[in-house]
Amino acid sequence: MENLIPTQILYLADLLIFFSVILIHLTKRNVYFVYLYAVQSLIVTFLMAYSSFANHSLPLGILALLIFALKVIAAPGFFLRLIKKQTLMSMTESYLNLPLTLAGIAAITMITHSRFFTPLSTLAPVNENALLISISTMFISLFLIINRKGALSQMVGILSLENAIVAFAIAAGLEQGLGLELGIAFDICAWIVIATVFVSMIYKKFHTLDVSVMTKLKG
Amino acid sequence: MIIALITIIPLLAATLSAMIKRNTKFLEFFTVISAGTIFVSSIIISKQVLANQIYTYLPYFKVSAFGAILLLLTSFIGLIASLYSIGYMRTEIKKEVIGFTRVRQYFVLLNLFLMSMVFAITFTSPVMTWVAVEATTLSTAFLISFYNKSSSMEAAWKYLIINSVGLLLAFFGTLLFLAGPMSIVGGHTLISWNDLLTNANALNPVIIKIAFVFILIGYGTKMGLVPMHTWLPDAHSKAPVPISSLLSGVLLNIALFTILKFKIVADASVGANFSQGLLVYFGLASILLSALLIYLQTNYKRLLAYSTIEHMGIIALGFGFGGIGVFAAILHMIYHSLAKPLLFLTSGNIFLKFSSTKIAKVSGVLKALPVTGVLFLIGIFAITGVPPFGIFLTEFSILAAGIRSHPAITAFTLLALVLVFIGFLKHATSMIFGEKPEDITTGESSYWNTVPLIVLAAVLIFLSVYLPGPLRLLIERATTIL
Repeated sequence: MENLIPTQILYLADLLIFFSVILIHLTKRNVYFVYLYAVQSLIVTFLMAYSSFANHSLPLGILALLIFALKVIAAPGFFLRLIKKQTLMSMTESYLNLPLTLAGIAAITMITHSRFFTPLSTLAPVNENALLISISTMFISLFLIINRKGALSQMVGILSLENAIVAFAIAAGLEQGLGLELGIAFDICAWIVIATVFVSMIYKKFHTLDVSVMTKLKG
Repeated sequence: MIIALITIIPLLAATLSAMIKRNTKFLEFFTVISAGTIFVSSIIISKQVLANQIYTYLPYFKVSAFGAILLLLTSFIGLIASLYSIGYMRTEIKKEVIGFTRVRQYFVLLNLFLMSMVFAITFTSPVMTWVAVEATTLSTAFLISFYNKSSSMEAAWKYLIINSVGLLLAFFGTLLFLAGPMSIVGGHTLISWNDLLTNANALNPVIIKIAFVFILIGYGTKMGLVPMHTWLPDAHSKAPVPISSLLSGVLLNIALFTILKFKIVADASVGANFSQGLLVYFGLASILLSALLIYLQTNYKRLLAYSTIEHMGIIALGFGFGGIGVFAAILHMIYHSLAKPLLFLTSGNIFLKFSSTKIAKVSGVLKALPVTGVLFLIGIFAITGVPPFGIFLTEFSILAAGIRSHPAITAFTLLALVLVFIGFLKHATSMIFGEKPEDITTGESSYWNTVPLIVLAAVLIFLSVYLPGPLRLLIERATTIL
């Protein structure tokens, strides 16, 4: 499908999303990665809104509003309240140290730009760079979920993965499909609410959001 | 029209249950009526599928032969689990483990879970199927954390995170599959499975391969295939047993069903070898790892969970081998869907009596729970493939299908199945026979906890020795499509 967002703008936006995930990896303070996630969601909102105007599409506009309301305002707001209320200002630990984390990110970026994933650029050859950088963002978000010990970081990792998929869909011109709109709208509405409830429940039960203390189930 | 009933009734039951303030009998009544309606409606829909090949309602719902089999299994196990839940919840209330609010939450979520599964089977759109499967994750996450203990919270969080990641990857794979048809049919309509298949040749084969890998990893996570299985033993062992029986006996089949629907499209584009190869290797990995862990297991609910992974592996292997393996895999899925809930529900009775899920702390089940003990033994024989139970025949057929094309894989599978048999026998012998502890009284907790299980065991035995014509026809038609 034809993509009406200028290639440079799209690539720049996807690069910003990519760097935001790397920064989320690098930052240890809970507050900072919540802000970074909000910025990342804002860029996705911008892309969606741009596409909505360019395609004169009301459903895309509604989806952009939904992303803004839930991913830029509500979810980060909830995270910040939780952090302040439960004094989680301190660090969130990773399983790998910083150099190894950076090496992991570099390896992921190389793999996603290798011949295994380049065929995906045929979806929209003009946006090849944006597509491949979105794939990198997806896998780096996955790496974030695996590498972090905090429940909040894992949740932000999933939301970031979702942002990367939306960014990929926009770069591939797939955002105009009813499928993406329905899927993302459902995920945003239901998943965020349920996962935030779970985060609160975990804190009440374990008095921490560090999931490495969850060691009762083995074998 | 009947499909509207099947989807609206559980929603209505969930809504009415949410409004109940005190009386648990109303909760039980709504759920049983809802599950019963779904079961009767499934039979009616299946009869229409038998008569007309498919059942459709509006452009949004369609049931094929495979869908009808799944609908029958989902509704039957759903009804059995709902009936069993009555006795299970009453016992837990009596023991003051839970209160009314928890029971209400349980029945509301159970109805929403059943509704999501029915939607996942009947939707014509891959995206709506994804939404329904995601809805099953969200409704069951709270059911897994039902007991609000540290361990159940841990299991539920693991389940939520791993499955959400898996399903997002599946969503990405779905988008890649949709890319081709979108350029032909246009984006502002809901692209159906049929559109995908019709335009399979318009899809870029390399992209389809990448997309299918994402689909297999994504829905394979939900199906419990190794190495994406890590949530499954925790979730199955921590959820209330009626939910474990639904997760194991029904939900995993729905994830498999979705993978197979994408497999049909992928096969039309890139040929069957690619998807079959992937299914064989994921299947084998699941069988080998679970066989080892079954042998070493110390917890009987986790034992059953690993057995589920093993059987999902066998089913994947059947579809991977192709030929007679496909028919056998569908039949295996049916037998597993009956045998595993029987085992989970009987293990629920054992848990209610012994208050422990450790194999070492349970002995003399046959003396303490005479009916449950016999049913548990039947379940063990059925799941390990002892003749005349149907799983013997299906495992034999799957191995026969693979012996020529994949002799080494077939040999490893056979060895793993022997290990599973020895492992199950070792654990079951120590649990079922011997003397019961002195503080454990003899007797079943209630009819609700035994009668549904007797019905389930009777159906399992009956289908093992005789396959009714209509069911055989449905399986044959499903085999042809796949």
